[in-house]
Amino acid sequence: MALVGLAVAGFTTACDVTELTPANLIPDSEAFSTAARIESAVLGVYESAQRGYYANAVQRGYPFGAANVEQGDMRGEDMYNDQLFYEITYVGSYSPNSANNSGMWISLYRMINRLNIILENLDVAVTNGVLTAEEGNAYKGEMLFLRALAHHELLVHFARPYSDDPSSMGIPYRTFGIDDVTKVPEGEAVGRTTVEEDYTQLLVDLDAAEGFLPEGGAFRANKGAAIALKSRIKLHMGDWAGVLTEYNKLTSKYAITANPATPFRGGNSSDNIFSFVNSAEANPGVNGALPSMYGNPDLGARGLVKISPIIWRADFWNAEDLRRTTMTTRSSTGIFTDKYQDATTYTDPNVILRYAEVVLNAAEANARTGKLDVAVDLVNSVRSRALPSSVAAYTVAGLGNQAGVLTAIWNERRIEFLAEGRRWADIHRLSGEGLMPGVPAKATSRSITNIDFYTTDRTIPLDHSISYDSHLFIWPIPLAEIQTNNTAPIEQNPGY
Amino acid sequence: MKKVLLGFAFTFLTVVSVLAQTKTITGRVTSAEEPEGVPGASVVVKGTTQGTITDLDGSYSIQVPSEATTLVYSFVGYLTKEMPIGSNSVINVVMEPDIKTLNEVIVVGYGTQERREITGSVTSIDSKAIENLVSPSFESQLAGRAPGVQITTPSGILGAAPIIRIRGVNSLTASASPLIVIDGVPVVSSDRSSVNAANPLANINPADIASFEVLKDGSASAIYGSRAANGVILITTKRGSTGKAKVSYNTSMGFNEEVDRFDLLTGDEWVTIANEKRTNANQSPLANPGVNTDWQDLIFRKGFTQQHNLSIAGGSEATKYFFSLGYTDQESPVRPNELSRYSFRANIDHSISKAVRIGTSLSYSYTEIFGLNNGANSLSGAIYNATRSLPNVPIYDAENTAFDGYNVTSNGATTGFGANLAGPDNNIPNIGFVIDNNLYRSRTHRAIGNAYGEVDLLTGLTARTQIGIDLTMNDDFQSLDPRHGDGRSSNGSVFMAYNPAFLWNWQNTLNYQTVFAEDHSLNVTAGLEYQFTKFYNFNAQGTDISDNFYRFYNIISGSYNNQFSGGGYTERGFDSYFGRFNYSYKGKYLASFTLRNDGISDLAVENQRGTFFGGSVGWRVSDEAFFNSQLISDFKVRASYAEVGNTGIDSFAAYGGYGPVLGGAGAGIGYNKIGNAALQWETSKKFNVGLDMTIGRVTVAVDYFNNNIDGLILNAPTALSLGVPNNEISQNIGKMTNTGLEFRAFANVINRGKFSWDTDFNITFIKNEVNELISPLTGTYNRTEVGNPIAQLYGYQWAGVNSANGNPLYVSGDVIVQYNLVPGALGYKAYDPANPGDVSVAGSAPTQAYLGNTLPKWQGGWSNNFKFGNFDAEIFTRFSGGNYIMNESVRGLLGQGFSNNHASILNRWTESGQVTDIPKLYSGQDQNMWQNSAANSRFVEKGDFVKIQNIVLGYTVPTTALQSAFKGAISNARFFAQVQNPFTFTGYSGLDPESNQYSGQLSFGVDWNVAPIIRTYTLGVNVGF
Repeated sequence: MALVGLAVAGFTTACDVTELTPANLIPDSEAFSTAARIESAVLGVYESAQRGYYANAVQRGYPFGAANVEQGDMRGEDMYNDQLFYEITYVGSYSPNSANNSGMWISLYRMINRLNIILENLDVAVTNGVLTAEEGNAYKGEMLFLRALAHHELLVHFARPYSDDPSSMGIPYRTFGIDDVTKVPEGEAVGRTTVEEDYTQLLVDLDAAEGFLPEGGAFRANKGAAIALKSRIKLHMGDWAGVLTEYNKLTSKYAITANPATPFRGGNSSDNIFSFVNSAEANPGVNGALPSMYGNPDLGARGLVKISPIIWRADFWNAEDLRRTTMTTRSSTGIFTDKYQDATTYTDPNVILRYAEVVLNAAEANARTGKLDVAVDLVNSVRSRALPSSVAAYTVAGLGNQAGVLTAIWNERRIEFLAEGRRWADIHRLSGEGLMPGVPAKATSRSITNIDFYTTDRTIPLDHSISYDSHLFIWPIPLAEIQTNNTAPIEQNPGY
Repeated sequence: MKKVLLGFAFTFLTVVSVLAQTKTITGRVTSAEEPEGVPGASVVVKGTTQGTITDLDGSYSIQVPSEATTLVYSFVGYLTKEMPIGSNSVINVVMEPDIKTLNEVIVVGYGTQERREITGSVTSIDSKAIENLVSPSFESQLAGRAPGVQITTPSGILGAAPIIRIRGVNSLTASASPLIVIDGVPVVSSDRSSVNAANPLANINPADIASFEVLKDGSASAIYGSRAANGVILITTKRGSTGKAKVSYNTSMGFNEEVDRFDLLTGDEWVTIANEKRTNANQSPLANPGVNTDWQDLIFRKGFTQQHNLSIAGGSEATKYFFSLGYTDQESPVRPNELSRYSFRANIDHSISKAVRIGTSLSYSYTEIFGLNNGANSLSGAIYNATRSLPNVPIYDAENTAFDGYNVTSNGATTGFGANLAGPDNNIPNIGFVIDNNLYRSRTHRAIGNAYGEVDLLTGLTARTQIGIDLTMNDDFQSLDPRHGDGRSSNGSVFMAYNPAFLWNWQNTLNYQTVFAEDHSLNVTAGLEYQFTKFYNFNAQGTDISDNFYRFYNIISGSYNNQFSGGGYTERGFDSYFGRFNYSYKGKYLASFTLRNDGISDLAVENQRGTFFGGSVGWRVSDEAFFNSQLISDFKVRASYAEVGNTGIDSFAAYGGYGPVLGGAGAGIGYNKIGNAALQWETSKKFNVGLDMTIGRVTVAVDYFNNNIDGLILNAPTALSLGVPNNEISQNIGKMTNTGLEFRAFANVINRGKFSWDTDFNITFIKNEVNELISPLTGTYNRTEVGNPIAQLYGYQWAGVNSANGNPLYVSGDVIVQYNLVPGALGYKAYDPANPGDVSVAGSAPTQAYLGNTLPKWQGGWSNNFKFGNFDAEIFTRFSGGNYIMNESVRGLLGQGFSNNHASILNRWTESGQVTDIPKLYSGQDQNMWQNSAANSRFVEKGDFVKIQNIVLGYTVPTTALQSAFKGAISNARFFAQVQNPFTFTGYSGLDPESNQYSGQLSFGVDWNVAPIIRTYTLGVNVGF
């Protein structure tokens, strides 16, 4: 017995089976201990932006891998939903329970928390000599740019437009990270600030980012990206002078490409200011990737979303426009965008900010402030490059007056940014200003079953319009957001 | 040996001191099992209290009065034997085992105990009742066999794990499944396959199992301490006994079929419906008459099933052995699902000397499962697809050789349109092509075994050490055709994975049994245990394959353009120290106390130890002098209380940090989990009071229990906008109670001549209530909130169809609203019962409410066994109810898209005044018509059922006939015919009231496109050589 006891005792001391640590989790305390780890953590923010959470799994390219484009298009009339997949967004039957709107909310805030945690650790890393001050600032700039990008996406979907009433309810603007149980109550206390306060914070973040960021390529946040995003945000605010200020900072750095397809062929053109990268190994997958969802089934894609015959048959879209003739494909059932092509490994980058947008923002700002000639020149710099020389450029006279010029600019945005998810943001801000009545009628879901809806004058069945005063104009706050905030649940949007 | 020692001890209590003698008789008591002598047997002079007990080699010596005529020999586990004294002075006795009471020595965890002395709540299930039944794994056949044990087989997919709950649901987000221990080794119970449902218990050959013991209350399970919250199932495999080798061969063959199919529209009916949906929405008709196809014919079949088991058991005095070989092949009624298993076992026990014993239990099995995509809303999901494919379109198109003669569009995107102007919604593929060409294969090698050594150190003191392992080597293969279906988008995909799990467990125990001062019996066990488990995996995938030729057996280098890989690792360790103290005074007053201290690696070092205890007392009233009932032969009351834990928590639950993430911009690290070093064990406080009673031929057991779970380890939800990883933080939050009443009665009702009838009935009532939470836990269908049972259905309240205009009506707050299905005027409108056609006033959106509990409130089983001469029969009935089911399958099949529907859609509203429960059809309005984002009372139904679970008929060939026909080569033979799951009586309108898409605790009670439950017909034979 003594022998057994001895053997047991001996083995026991050697037998430590409970002091284990996970092989797949770097502890919080070690995550910022080297420059390489900090770079990795920053890449982790890009990952959360490109492959966020949807329905409790990393899938479908929420928020910026693909979903921002799909949801932005499906809330508008220029892309057409052919299947159940985007039906809820397309027909406006979302509720506080429905998945797409919740998916955007969840994945955007997940991205924001990741970057806020990093922001809080950068100064410490600089103090500890892990990073130089310059490196620290560059990372800060990246995080602040991404924070503004995410919060603006939230504002456009979940809050009423700035152009209507800046004092209306905004969204919780998060400026600190939650990485401990004890920080939860403080986080819960951040409520729905006003739209004005949120836009102010967006500009604070972006001004800082502009100062911190170096110039750089489109695949990482860079100084140009911060400026371009400011141009977009100031357009939403109706700050026309501000839009022009930002535009003027970029004119010498970027240029519209002669071929309108170039920004989508590699994503590194003079037009590309900022894009999220998708790779064969990391992408939104068959149920999210733009080439899969928007591509032509005859070319191996799923093809759940087509170009709508509404814009295809619109009289403002010239039949010889290269963006029709070379950037679309067709099957027996309809016409598809060709901006995204890799339907097998889904490597098309998601283009977020293009110089063409900054130019058209500037065109609008000029038009709004009465500088119609300048405005028309800027529109033409986008439009005429896609048209044969036989088609005359716009003139102020030809467009009539300020209203005509503005309409031409908005129409040009619909054509140039078709299938890039920008339509909703324009509907949002223009409806708030009273220049649109809300979401226009769309081609009825699942009704465009034949190419002849595009090629003949066959009546396009219309449905799914949402007036600006309907509660459906903006998305509901997810029910779980309200139910799981134990101390200070935020207010639901009225009507839900 | 334990049994012997116990008996030895027990006999002391019944033997009273010796009086004056006149004659000495000596002899030896032996038995077939113990030819070396039965120690501790009692020898009593009949009609007196005079007696003695046999010593270690079974010999005895007794002085008897001259008038004595008979000696009575008795011992636990043997039939009492009487021998005339006559003029003999030497009487040797061979005892016959009492099969019935042999079962009464039961395995209780780190030892055995006599049923009579049990003061906790333990139910034993004899494997004989289930060993000939056909099922992929044993546990599904335990359903209804024991009170307090709920087992549900939620679908007909072979390999899908049944849900096991002992005395209700005992955790919210940690595991609620019991610990399963095979021959003393806790086994890995996580499904390792990544491509199929591959229940790990399906690796175990049910024919090897001798008995099941279910430890239900805290006292019985407290010896498992931290792992006891969800109960424990102890499985003992068969072992040899001394004697000539007994060879037995059991086989059965038959077929599996689906219990029911979905009632769908024919092609012609569907054309009308599909066009009506569209024209009501001002859309052009798309459907045109064609053929009438039932796509379910493609996915369902009669699946052949067979099983063969050969075993050899026997032994010498010193060495006993049991060997077995098993083979089964079962085809599910859903193509191409199939499970086959090859297994062998060798259990050996050897006595080196009187005091030293060694032994081993070794088993190996190889299980192969061919699975399928049965995702509830996967486009290639068999049930989803077959119930939605357009019924007016042919399955085949012989000309279409590019797609093997299936009807598929030329670009491969979807099923051919037939006469229709459009294809099916969501471009669903032709399921026939998918089933024929896509492969889901998982293979599992499983070795479970242990080796033990046992030494008797002193009289009554035994030391035992046991090392056990459980090794699972799972490999997966998934291969998708590049032409059509799930593989089309990646131009073909081949995926392989290797997912091992390895567990070792080392137990050392000391057991001391003694009797002192004649009436006091003591049984003390102390031990320590270490356990360590590693889970790891890696995988490789190729897409964009060069040639379909290479796709069918394995991933083949160079046959694909894009290559991907992945992998992961986690581990978990326990160390435990425990003791158990059982005391009995004259067998009348019983007490037991258990203490265990556990450490687990999942918690932070400073909080990883927990101490758990349990105690119980019992009183055998029937042994009291004042208790003098002819009717009641045995009456015992018992009570227990314990505090135990739950280790079914996430691996490294307390740890947080940054996980690896691969984004388009590169491999980085992402904040993955908020750590919570303060995380503690969750505690189950279990109280049980019960009684066991034998009244005449009827034995009754009644238990009341109350299980109060405190400090639940909850993945507590956080507000979404905090952006916390997974929107949750593991915290000790929440309380829940399960209270219930269990009742069991069994009896030999008739035993007259050739005819006998045995019956065994049990019923359990359970009430679950959540007592504390941080915030409600809400899923798509279910909601868990304080004051309610876990996972109630939660959603919209249907108020019918407005007969004036066909609009669906829902409750919104205090009023009823309608969703106006008129083109251009869609939207919620107020509903005025006095003027139902009025849609001029805008209405609010429907609101949600609780729609019913999903956990059964009562359940049980009733078996009846009949014997008439050589014929035998069993009818086993199972019942359950008090719960509600969300019939999501039917809601989906009443969809408003371009896909097939449930036949009940023919009742849709078409004209003013029509009273129906299906609104006006309207293309694309699924969401507003049926409120798809949550449960809907329109589809919530009662889940009560009574099932005739098994009917078995057997015929045992008379021994004389065998003797004359085979000259002793065959010693016994029994033929049988059986049908499993033949009848279900229920008001539920779905395929089966046990169909369930979810097996977790927080989402439950949703019947959503699961494969129908299986009905099995088999014929078989058991032969002994």
